[in-house]
Amino acid sequence: MNKVSMAKVAISAVAACAMVVPLAACGSSSAGGDADGKVTLKFAAFEGGYGAQMYKDVVAAYEKLNPDVKIELTTSKKIADEITPGMKAGNYPDIVELGQGTESGLTETMLKDKALEDVTDVLDMTVPGESKTVKDKLVDGIIGLYTNPYGDDQTYLMPMYYSPSGLVYNKTLLEQNGWEVPTTWDEFFKLGDEAKAKGISLFTYPTAGYFDAFFNALLADIGGDDFYTDVMTYKKDVWKSKDATEALTLVQKLVTEYLNPDTVGYANSQDFTKNQQSVLDGKSLFMPNGTWIVNEMKDAPRTDGFEWGFAPVPTTTEGGTRYINTTIEGVWIPKKAKHIEEAKKFMAFLYSDTAADIFNKTGAVQPIKGMTDKVDDTMKVFYDAYNQDGVKAVAGSFSTTASVEGKNIKDDLYTAVDSVASGKKSLADWQKALNDTSNALNEASSK
Amino acid sequence: MSKSTRASGQKAKRTVLDRKRSRFGILCALPTAILFIIFMVIPTVNVFRMSFFKWSGFSDDQTFVGFDNFKILATDMNFVHAFQNTVLLLVVVTSITMPIAIIFAAILTQDKIIGSGFLRFVMYVPSILSAVVIAAIFSAIYDQNDGLLNGTLGFLGLGALKRVWLGDQKIVIYSIAFAMVWQSFGYYMVMYMSSMAGVDKSLYEASQIDGAGKVRQLFSITIPMIWQNIRTTLTFFIISSVNLSFVLVTAMTNGGPDGASQTLLGYMYEQAYTNSTYGYGMAIGVIIFLFSFLLSLLVSQVTKRDIIQQL
Repeated sequence: MNKVSMAKVAISAVAACAMVVPLAACGSSSAGGDADGKVTLKFAAFEGGYGAQMYKDVVAAYEKLNPDVKIELTTSKKIADEITPGMKAGNYPDIVELGQGTESGLTETMLKDKALEDVTDVLDMTVPGESKTVKDKLVDGIIGLYTNPYGDDQTYLMPMYYSPSGLVYNKTLLEQNGWEVPTTWDEFFKLGDEAKAKGISLFTYPTAGYFDAFFNALLADIGGDDFYTDVMTYKKDVWKSKDATEALTLVQKLVTEYLNPDTVGYANSQDFTKNQQSVLDGKSLFMPNGTWIVNEMKDAPRTDGFEWGFAPVPTTTEGGTRYINTTIEGVWIPKKAKHIEEAKKFMAFLYSDTAADIFNKTGAVQPIKGMTDKVDDTMKVFYDAYNQDGVKAVAGSFSTTASVEGKNIKDDLYTAVDSVASGKKSLADWQKALNDTSNALNEASSK
Repeated sequence: MSKSTRASGQKAKRTVLDRKRSRFGILCALPTAILFIIFMVIPTVNVFRMSFFKWSGFSDDQTFVGFDNFKILATDMNFVHAFQNTVLLLVVVTSITMPIAIIFAAILTQDKIIGSGFLRFVMYVPSILSAVVIAAIFSAIYDQNDGLLNGTLGFLGLGALKRVWLGDQKIVIYSIAFAMVWQSFGYYMVMYMSSMAGVDKSLYEASQIDGAGKVRQLFSITIPMIWQNIRTTLTFFIISSVNLSFVLVTAMTNGGPDGASQTLLGYMYEQAYTNSTYGYGMAIGVIIFLFSFLLSLLVSQVTKRDIIQQL
């Protein structure tokens, strides 16, 4: 070989390596940096409406308290997509803040796989820098179906932020017309008739997915807590029961007779804000929504004197309990995390007053006693709803312990509302599809 | 040295050089080959492998279930519906886009039209827009109250034709089809224009003397002359439409209302990720792969013609 061709071969070989080496580097995991006595915790957090800054501040506060711990923070709006490839390669974050119900379904998948660390002992841990235990600080009743998803006493998801979702309305519009917020379904429909006479629709929904909160509250009211749990854990033929029929019948009546006629046409990811806008414009009275609506629609035009109001879903019986669906975001530790003990300590710190104040500043309210007094005024109307008489919180979602090919209960219950509203799906079809899916999931989870 | 030995020596020399050259060629191709295998071949093989498993998409817990996933597919009405939607989009969009692209290309290349450069630009622009932008544009066009389409219909006194374009389950798929046509025809038009420019002008002149009109020229000269190009783009178009329909549907309706506009790829994504049934999703992936593959094969067989060579 002459010199030139040698050089060519060398160059091409180097080029080949250069292209392949970075790929190999992707797969290798950093060791955690324990060499200098420091523990490096990997904290992955979902960057939701609250932004990423609050996590940076909390991490800084913890590192100040524990100089031996270094926290590698990753925040992203697509956090599940970012950490999943690493996790498949065995490179796990130590602690993850990501709730259920995201599109990726990562938390649900981890639960189905029983891949989460049992964090029940964190409840009894003393909050770093304070004297109280985590359990003492948490509000009553927050540890439930959501945090203990397998229906036993073991906690796998720690409740991070909670926010109420129910019926959002325009306070001023109701006051101007001398209308009271309805507490029963009879009052609700009666108000609907009165509003119709004035050319206002009683109800709209952003997308059918927003019915999760609505159904949770309605089911808990009609059948009580046990029935609610039965539905969420797919008890056999639960959707054929009298209570379930009542719930579906009510919603069918609501969306076929009292729905803003524009709703279904806008109920997609592109146009859903137009449905929300109809409440701001005084064309619809109520919609299922949550605390985020204030921020989401802050720049939208509105009628004069518009003021957000928030009410629980009406009850079916006079004087019955009205429920507020409570969305909880969870924080969890993967079973295969490297520094589980350190991660648990950091988890406990997330409930400290220091952390709670940082989170509260951006509107993220934790289920800590006394927190609702600290929330700012626009949010107060939402959290105050818990303090009304005969109002209870209901939390949780469909059990995620099993999955069945081609069967998605959320599609069959919530998404189907679009078809029910347009009259394409009858009550009987809706109920049958739901019952079939629920039974299939029941069978799969008992395996 | 005799003549013959010199010749054989030269031959041997060339082979050494050839071998060196081919070795260098292989080395040059190696990086691409490695990348291709890692990012194309292995994932494709994996799709086929995973379709035989029940897997949540994450854990080590993979159970071999044989053809179970495919058996479920056959009875899954949501899948059948998504399949119907995809086929409908392919048929409707292809049968509208291709003729329009050819006709516009023929008009723009053969006739002297004022502002043809500008027209070409305007028609080409949609194909470089991202799906999200297109979704936003069509959300404004299709808006049921103050949208461009319903507004125009009302202005023209055709109020009876007003529809809830994205909310009516019978119409929504056609609304998406129209957006797809709008998005893709400019791109194919430009492709056809470039191949039409290569057709010898004398053919048109000769046919004109023989008394052929514009339409006759299109069918008897232009289309046969660019037939190879049409074949290639047709295959190309079908495959890219499968993808484009997914992207556009996701951005515009996310499969709604109630799955009425769901496509195969959208359903695959929903099953593989949102519903945590990865193996089932991959079974859908296999069907999509086979479907596109067979369809392309079919199209290329059906459209086979003798190549007309230009002298």
